[in-house]
Amino acid sequence: MDNEKVKEFLNNFKLFFQGATDFNRKSQSLLMKESHNEMDDFILLCFGDILGIPIPTSYYSLELLPLIADDLDGWQRRMVSRLYIWGEKWGDFDLDA
Amino acid sequence: MNKIVFFGGKGGVGKTTCSASYAVFSAKSGLKTLLVSTDPAHSTSDIFEKKIKNEITNILPNLDAIEISGEKESKIYMDNVKISLKNVVSPVIVKEINKQIDAASISPGTEEAALFDKMIEIITEKNDEYDRIIFDTAPTGHTVRLLTLPELLGAWLDTLIKKRSKSVTLMSMANHHGQTDKKDIDNDEVIKILRKRYEKINKAKKIMMEDKLLSFIFVINAEKLPIDETVKAINILEKYNVLVDGIVVNKILPENMKDDFWKSKKEQEQKYLDIIMETFKGKKIFKLPLLQEDMKSNNIENIADKFSEFN
Repeated sequence: MDNEKVKEFLNNFKLFFQGATDFNRKSQSLLMKESHNEMDDFILLCFGDILGIPIPTSYYSLELLPLIADDLDGWQRRMVSRLYIWGEKWGDFDLDA
Repeated sequence: MNKIVFFGGKGGVGKTTCSASYAVFSAKSGLKTLLVSTDPAHSTSDIFEKKIKNEITNILPNLDAIEISGEKESKIYMDNVKISLKNVVSPVIVKEINKQIDAASISPGTEEAALFDKMIEIITEKNDEYDRIIFDTAPTGHTVRLLTLPELLGAWLDTLIKKRSKSVTLMSMANHHGQTDKKDIDNDEVIKILRKRYEKINKAKKIMMEDKLLSFIFVINAEKLPIDETVKAINILEKYNVLVDGIVVNKILPENMKDDFWKSKKEQEQKYLDIIMETFKGKKIFKLPLLQEDMKSNNIENIADKFSEFN
């Protein structure tokens, strides 16, 4: 067996156990959640005026709109429903992990 | 005299006349000159009696001019955003988002921002092409904001780039089992756009502030209010390390007035001239006489010649 094949086999072996034991699921979801939170802050800094927060630089963020437009609707809903800090914090605990 | 010259001052003192004749003077002394009018009134066309639009137009040998308007620039920008929206997003969202853009186009500050953007573009892109760029600015407060803009925008862009990079890095970690791929950050379209703007702003900042290529000339009349306003403006500019090179005292009355009214007017002028000499000590002070007739393309060169003492 040549090197390439060994590598491929080992990689598949690793992937099998990753899938079977699900070690990464929790960490992956944490990372994703953190990434989405960061992104929500980012959109707030760009398009806060949609929520009524005046942003002096809003003219300059318009050119980002085409790239962010798809997230904008969900973002707006998330921001508006941020009424209860307990509910939000509770959501941070992933109880079935 | 520096490479980029801003003419500022209170409304009606004669900024456009002075900047136009100074531009003619620069061109005649062999410098390739660009005259940029940012005043929404756009009198530059009227002075040269030639249609100047928002494109660089040749007027005299060595002299080009352009009239930029915030309204037009913001429309171009918004239209570009709308076009790229169509390529990326579904039609339903486009309709909703277009409303957003239209709302932005009438919000305060938009035209100003578009104008600044264009000015920065001219400063960064035409700097190498011309020996001198002369800006005929709108009244004072406006221009001072242009100088604070790199600071404000720079900090904002910096935060945005950091936030977006962090978000992209985390996403990349989630997808690659804890490993990050640096290419993900460099390939991110949002970061590309932000970095491009950041570089542009920094280049303008370098040209304006660090290389000290920028200087201001204030146009005043021998009257109380223009003097007071100019003193305030100079204080602010010096805070930003911008050189205020000279003062042009425009519309000086002729000697030997006969009429009593004009005699007392002339006396009062002399009093203010003394104040001007005292207040702006150390700066080049240059006097321009009140003209008998309006400045037009046929007599502009006579006035331009007077600037040879000033340089």
